Amino acid sequence: MDSIQVNKDTAFITELESIVENDGPYSSWDLFSMAYHAELTTITPKFKGLRAFEYLPHIKFLDHQVDAAEQVIETMNGRAILADEVGLGKTIEAGLILKEYMIRGLVKNALILVPASLVSQWVRELNEKFYIPAVAHRKNYSWDQNIIISSLDTAKRSPHRESILDIEYDFILIDEAHKLKNHKTKNYEFVRSLKKKYCLLLTATPVQNQLIEIFNLISILKPGHLGNYDSFLENYGKDRSKIKQDAYLKQLIQKVMIRNTRQNTTLNNTKRNIQTVWIDFKPEEKEVYDDLESASAGFSSFSKITFLREICSSREACYLSLKKLHEENPNPYIEQVNSKIEKLPHHSKAEKLVELIKQFGDEKVIVFTEYRASQLYLQWILKQHGITSVPFRGGFKRGKKDWMKQLFQNHAQVLIATEAGGEGINLQFCNHLINYDLPWNPMRLEQRIGRIHRYGQEKDVQIYNFATKGTIEEHIMTLLYEKINLFEQVIGNLDAILEELNISNMESEIESIYSESSTVGEVKIKLDNLTSIIKSSMEQSQEEQNYGYN
Amino acid sequence: MAITNLNQFLQDYFVSHRCQILENNDGILKIRLTEEMDRALMNRPFYWHYIKKIGQQGEPMNLTLITNPKKKDEKGEWIHFGSPRLQQIIHHLKENERFTKLFQKVETNQNTPLYPWLVVNLKQSYKGKQKKDEIISIGLQLVNGNMRLEMMDYLKNLPLQMAISDYCYTISPIIKLQSGFKRIEAVISTYIENQTHEWAVESIHELDEEIKTLQHFYEGRTEELEQMEKEMEEIKVRYHPIISQEVINGGIFYLTE
Repeated sequence: MDSIQVNKDTAFITELESIVENDGPYSSWDLFSMAYHAELTTITPKFKGLRAFEYLPHIKFLDHQVDAAEQVIETMNGRAILADEVGLGKTIEAGLILKEYMIRGLVKNALILVPASLVSQWVRELNEKFYIPAVAHRKNYSWDQNIIISSLDTAKRSPHRESILDIEYDFILIDEAHKLKNHKTKNYEFVRSLKKKYCLLLTATPVQNQLIEIFNLISILKPGHLGNYDSFLENYGKDRSKIKQDAYLKQLIQKVMIRNTRQNTTLNNTKRNIQTVWIDFKPEEKEVYDDLESASAGFSSFSKITFLREICSSREACYLSLKKLHEENPNPYIEQVNSKIEKLPHHSKAEKLVELIKQFGDEKVIVFTEYRASQLYLQWILKQHGITSVPFRGGFKRGKKDWMKQLFQNHAQVLIATEAGGEGINLQFCNHLINYDLPWNPMRLEQRIGRIHRYGQEKDVQIYNFATKGTIEEHIMTLLYEKINLFEQVIGNLDAILEELNISNMESEIESIYSESSTVGEVKIKLDNLTSIIKSSMEQSQEEQNYGYN
Repeated sequence: MAITNLNQFLQDYFVSHRCQILENNDGILKIRLTEEMDRALMNRPFYWHYIKKIGQQGEPMNLTLITNPKKKDEKGEWIHFGSPRLQQIIHHLKENERFTKLFQKVETNQNTPLYPWLVVNLKQSYKGKQKKDEIISIGLQLVNGNMRLEMMDYLKNLPLQMAISDYCYTISPIIKLQSGFKRIEAVISTYIENQTHEWAVESIHELDEEIKTLQHFYEGRTEELEQMEKEMEEIKVRYHPIISQEVINGGIFYLTE
């Protein structure tokens, strides 16, 4: 075969000559033959199959993850979009692929571009799970490291940009690749000009609005695979529903994209059981709530919403906020309310919590609350009832987070957390979760549940949502969460849907509904409208995602 | 033969480096390192720099390696084929054990000639769409030009040592090392030529297909010529079939025949 290039080893024999000339140093037979056997062990004897498993005996891969990695390496030749739904382990698949390429000696240097908030998580995951010596990019580092992780925003800025574009990378990975959907952006232009051999694009939402988005993603990997820009636009236009009709297009897309959904993976085995736990305020608690609700002087309607939410959580949370406001801006009305709060008995919700946890026996429970003050109070009240607990906050340093996780796993029954934190910890060994207060942002709710309902979870997940009757909590529960069925299903593309609807911050959206409405009835109607819109785009989108790619 | 018994392999490795085995029981191997091995494996150059500066001997560390996965939670490092420690040891071996000169051990009281052999162990990689490796071990007798394949398997049954046995003497090579190596390369070239190389055919097919697709993509977009050339180059790098050879190690062996 003339077209095969043969690279010979020309250095060895000259080196041997000079060693012989100097008469040494020589290896003993034992070490000489050990080096030979070590090489025999580390070679890759076959073109096909994955060797990485031998190197990663501590990881239990799921079938769909193994299939994905094999498919990317063997049939897609190392350039692919990994588009699994959230929580199915795209990172694991990507790590496995990178590991395999490194073992085979096909990848020596790699550039991994991820959102800034995920850089350290990626570093940890690759180091600890995959033994891939990846490092986070730091100031004054050279980009010419072996495996380097950075944010796209840093990488595309001068002077980094210039140094990066000079390097030929064996492997490029881009997480949250849907940010590259528009070919006119700086991000897109930058990624396309990178010099690369293998390339993985990770996104849970490959198509959000228009089919041209997937065309743009694929053009990074395999330009021309879907034809050229003009012809594609002509055939498929901007209409994403075309993907349903066109079997040929679907087939082409499947050649460069892998999408697993919960429905087609074994992860579907564990279910979510959702239960709403209603709490009735004691008369004196209700009185304070009503006082706050009817108050009109001294604070904005935004703060009022906060106080109402806080009094539903704990006396302490509300008391502290009111006190702070009073100190800044003395107000006799607040003083009066606070003196009522001081006299309140134990919070009804906290009592309910104790009662519920006692029913679990010694099973592990995670409790999420929105407020630091409630967190402390709950820790105290659980202790009064002989229930051990540890606190958890998003602001904890990494080491402390790990330590708390360990304490929880080995010594305490309850973890009380204020923040789910997308980059928090994974707690699959626990299958009870109590939402002591509900967040107003559905994405945060999904993140909370995602801490325990992810791969590795072996039992069905039990979720308890606390809500106090006749309060702001009841509206959110019945009008928002129950209506869009948020608890039952995983909505991987909820963030995309909200973006599409131009709702960037759900929480402030709801807050403004409250502050701009004059009656409870008006609030209800507006909330109802909001959820109807979300619900209908969710159904539409779900249908398309599933039909389009599976 | 690859490494099948990791525990044995590690013990041999440390013994060969004159480390003391403190304990080896049920997959838990406890070693007292020598200074040399501490420097090679423990990654603490500042300690050694400091201790030598103040004129002290220094204390090499103990290392506990666990090869039995059932014991991996005990005190020590769990070592397996993917663990950084084993990679480090393998790397250390490959770096340091590249050249040798060995003599066959002979029990004799008569003058016995030993013939020089050039032994080369080589890794050959085939890289197209995918990649695979094979290992070739060849010996060439440097007097009569005889060649032997699977040389390492042959050698492992001979007693070998670093010094020449009593009453033995070596015959001078007639074939020079450089030309001996050329003969070995020639044999490997013939071996390559005799293969059918479906892997390369497939890779070239894929390469052509992707280049065609690419050209279609850029039809009429002359302003993006540079980008197109970059991408074309990437396709070539990814698919162009290459066979590369890399000598693992080799040396001169003096054998009785």
